[in-house]
Amino acid sequence: MNEEENTQALSFSDYLPSVGIVGVIFALVSFVIGLFFGYQQINSEPSGSFMSPMMFSGVVICLVSALAGLLAVWHFTREVTPYMTLGQGALIGFLTGAVIVLFSVVLSELWILIFDPDYTTKMMDAAIANIEAMEMPEANKQQMIDAVADSMAGGQSIWQQIFWGVPITGLINLVTGLIGVKVFAEKKEETF
Amino acid sequence: MKNAMSYWLLLGGLTIMLVLSLGGGLWGAEQSIGHWTGKLFENVCHQDPLRSLTVNGTPMAVNSRCFGIFSGLWMGWLAIPIIIRFSLKKLWTNWFLLLAVMLQIIDYMGNHILWENNNASRVVLGLLLGAAVAIFLSDFFQTKKIRVNHERGRKYTSTLI
Repeated sequence: MNEEENTQALSFSDYLPSVGIVGVIFALVSFVIGLFFGYQQINSEPSGSFMSPMMFSGVVICLVSALAGLLAVWHFTREVTPYMTLGQGALIGFLTGAVIVLFSVVLSELWILIFDPDYTTKMMDAAIANIEAMEMPEANKQQMIDAVADSMAGGQSIWQQIFWGVPITGLINLVTGLIGVKVFAEKKEETF
Repeated sequence: MKNAMSYWLLLGGLTIMLVLSLGGGLWGAEQSIGHWTGKLFENVCHQDPLRSLTVNGTPMAVNSRCFGIFSGLWMGWLAIPIIIRFSLKKLWTNWFLLLAVMLQIIDYMGNHILWENNNASRVVLGLLLGAAVAIFLSDFFQTKKIRVNHERGRKYTSTLI
């Protein structure tokens, strides 16, 4: 690809493959990791430890999905153009984060709808059983149980999950997208 | 400063993220898990109350390491206009980021085996990582000017703020 082509204005469809491919792959990975640790939590005896399988899954999913912005920019520099601006990297990173949230929410809902309608209830029971086994004052325990019950039984709709999920995941991937621009993109020399 | 609009937009975004990460305690809630601030961060943090700092007696919406990262990123971002006055060697910023990432990995792996980390150590290591990211990205905002010195007939680069 020569530099003349690279100076042409890019349209939304130029970003879509990188954002879509990387976003969907990372959503799938996050979903599978979440499901794996979710069933591990459901099928294990309550340990009373804060670092339950679901907590551990949170750490892994965060670390994995934060890299999506970086990889989406890498894909873009290989497939579309090696020359990128800061804004393009930010856009790709944010959109990739949004796609991850969107697809992982859809996959979770499909799983509950088709394969395991009781998944949320089983998860809530396992989380509450784990809190009950914790060594802490009864009042604190009750507060935590109420909070978990509220957050899980509140039954957030797909739209609510997307609404709460996109901003921070998007912002974190936006930052890793910027790192991607610095690492993978080529700079045009600026002369004044 | 180059890309000034992006700088200010991101500073705004990072400030909002940092304030919201303080959790429900800022809004008088007894827990951050289940509170709207907790919902915002539940995709990116395990939110373990024992590994979180507290605000008004309520655990934050993120754990201490994430809070450290967000704080470091925000402070580093605030410092970018000062950082770009100095022409930092690219190699130095790369190594600083790599070192900060390695420290997190070492801390994860050694915890419970070789040492016990605590909220303070997690905040400090998180701060380092966040600041390293901001410093790594700082040269996006540095204006480089290439001039030709006609007297000596050679090119040199100078930095303008």
